[in-house]
Amino acid sequence: MLDTTLQAETPEGIDILLRPAGAVPRVLAYGIDWIIRVVAFSVVMIALGSVGAARGLGLALGFLVYFGLEWLYPIVFELLPGAATPGKRALGLQVMMDSGLPVTPAAAVTRNLLRAADFLPMLFGFGVLSMLLRADFKRIGDIAAGTLVVHKDHVRLAGALPEAQPMAPRVPLTRAQQVAILRLAGRARRLTPERVDELAALAEGVLPPPDFAPGGSAPPPIRPGPRLLAVAQWLAGQR
Amino acid sequence: MGMTPRQFEARYEPAWQELEHALAALDRGRSRRRKTGPFPTGGVPVTGAARIAQLYRQCCEHLALARERAYPVHLVARLEVLTADAHQRIYRRHDFGLAALRDLLLRRVPVAVRALRWHLLVAALVFVLPALVVGVATWVAPQFALTVVDAGAIRNFDKMYGPEAGEHLGRTSADDWKMFGFYVMHNVGIAFQCFAAGITLGVGSLVMLAYNGLLLGAVAGLLVTRGDSERFFSFVITHSAFELTAIVLAGATGLKLGHALLAPGRRTRTQALLRAARETSPVVTGFFVMLLIAAMLEAFWSSSAWIAPGVKYGVGAACWLLVLAYLGLQGRGAAPRDGGR
Repeated sequence: MLDTTLQAETPEGIDILLRPAGAVPRVLAYGIDWIIRVVAFSVVMIALGSVGAARGLGLALGFLVYFGLEWLYPIVFELLPGAATPGKRALGLQVMMDSGLPVTPAAAVTRNLLRAADFLPMLFGFGVLSMLLRADFKRIGDIAAGTLVVHKDHVRLAGALPEAQPMAPRVPLTRAQQVAILRLAGRARRLTPERVDELAALAEGVLPPPDFAPGGSAPPPIRPGPRLLAVAQWLAGQR
Repeated sequence: MGMTPRQFEARYEPAWQELEHALAALDRGRSRRRKTGPFPTGGVPVTGAARIAQLYRQCCEHLALARERAYPVHLVARLEVLTADAHQRIYRRHDFGLAALRDLLLRRVPVAVRALRWHLLVAALVFVLPALVVGVATWVAPQFALTVVDAGAIRNFDKMYGPEAGEHLGRTSADDWKMFGFYVMHNVGIAFQCFAAGITLGVGSLVMLAYNGLLLGAVAGLLVTRGDSERFFSFVITHSAFELTAIVLAGATGLKLGHALLAPGRRTRTQALLRAARETSPVVTGFFVMLLIAAMLEAFWSSSAWIAPGVKYGVGAACWLLVLAYLGLQGRGAAPRDGGR
């Protein structure tokens, strides 16, 4: 399957799905952080200039602020709860270890110092190249630190099964068939009814026939889509 | 016939909801920063924390069952989200306090430095040899310095250390703060680049070490031939104990990274790089702190011309001994702290 999720196993023996963020959201997040840093630095310098501390102490503070914004800004934000710089936060990204654990201080320091290596030969050339070539979108600093930038929010592609009068399938179903029917039913709300019908028609052989009405019960719907949803309800335990 | 998905959901729904509520309460409690037990639980009483761990393990089990029995996707997805959230909270860092910092500075930094001894030797040689060669060459034939440094830079150094430099070695005390900021930014930048350049199989680190060595040799040789040696050496002796050591440490960490990439041994290159970065991370912290100390000394102590050169030589020698003893002797035989990472 063409998918960008990664699995990380926990000590409890279950797999956690991680969704690494690709080059585009990360470049955008960097852009936002860059703007924030430039604005913060300008504000500090203007404030220092306006109090007439343009020389000596003022310039020292300027250098220290520059240094802090350049090297410490990402480290500090990635160690705070949320594990993301404001730019990453704005794009819903988060830094974590590639084991799915929260990022450790040593890893946050390593990945951010090695930004200097990602910057080479110019404008983050190696970093972007590394992200484009790897399935987990790590830049060099991420590889060395064992960290991962992931999308924080979970995607919910499937919702609850749509309500339907449960109906038994025509024949006993194999496990793979049950899984296929339940998955399609879970996605039914995101598809047009016509498309559900088309897909459900593939399972016509196992769905209850439209003229099947045992014991005077209401006959099943004509269209295959609603009949498939009815079978899904039956499989989920609605009898 | 096993349990149907509906029965499964109805039976365990209360546990899932309890865990969801407990996690939400944990987030609210964290902002209050209250500690109510032998270990920080973000404001939740210890019995509550134990309950969360219990619920988390149950949900892990439910997730494994739901996946194995191919229950409807929304059910599995819900459990995935729930366990992933709980996992992040339960395995988050608990101590970031002074004990960890103390252990880092008093044991892990010097131990990690000593583990790098061969890389340190190479880095020191690559730094010191060019400095000595260029220094002696400049001493013999002063115009040799021009092959390394351009004339403008030499004029600057002349102004700083030459005879016309006054009370404050070429700058006023208002400049001290400015210079502190400049030294921090400049030196730490160089050191970090030395470290990161190791990614080019170590070549970058070697080049940077050698280049900085050349500069140092040229400047020192030039000032000695002009008869400004006392002014120069009394200026640099104190902070160089921290600064030159830190540059060599940074170069050694870079070489370690390059070495791991070049000769990964029985690991993949990625694994080797990861391991090297993990092993050298205390050293990175170490040279960072040393550069901060060096910048402070350079800005406020080294530049003060009212301190007699003899005093500066004495303090400088003490600093060299201190740094070498710290890196060479500190933390031998100390037991690793429990759970220290």
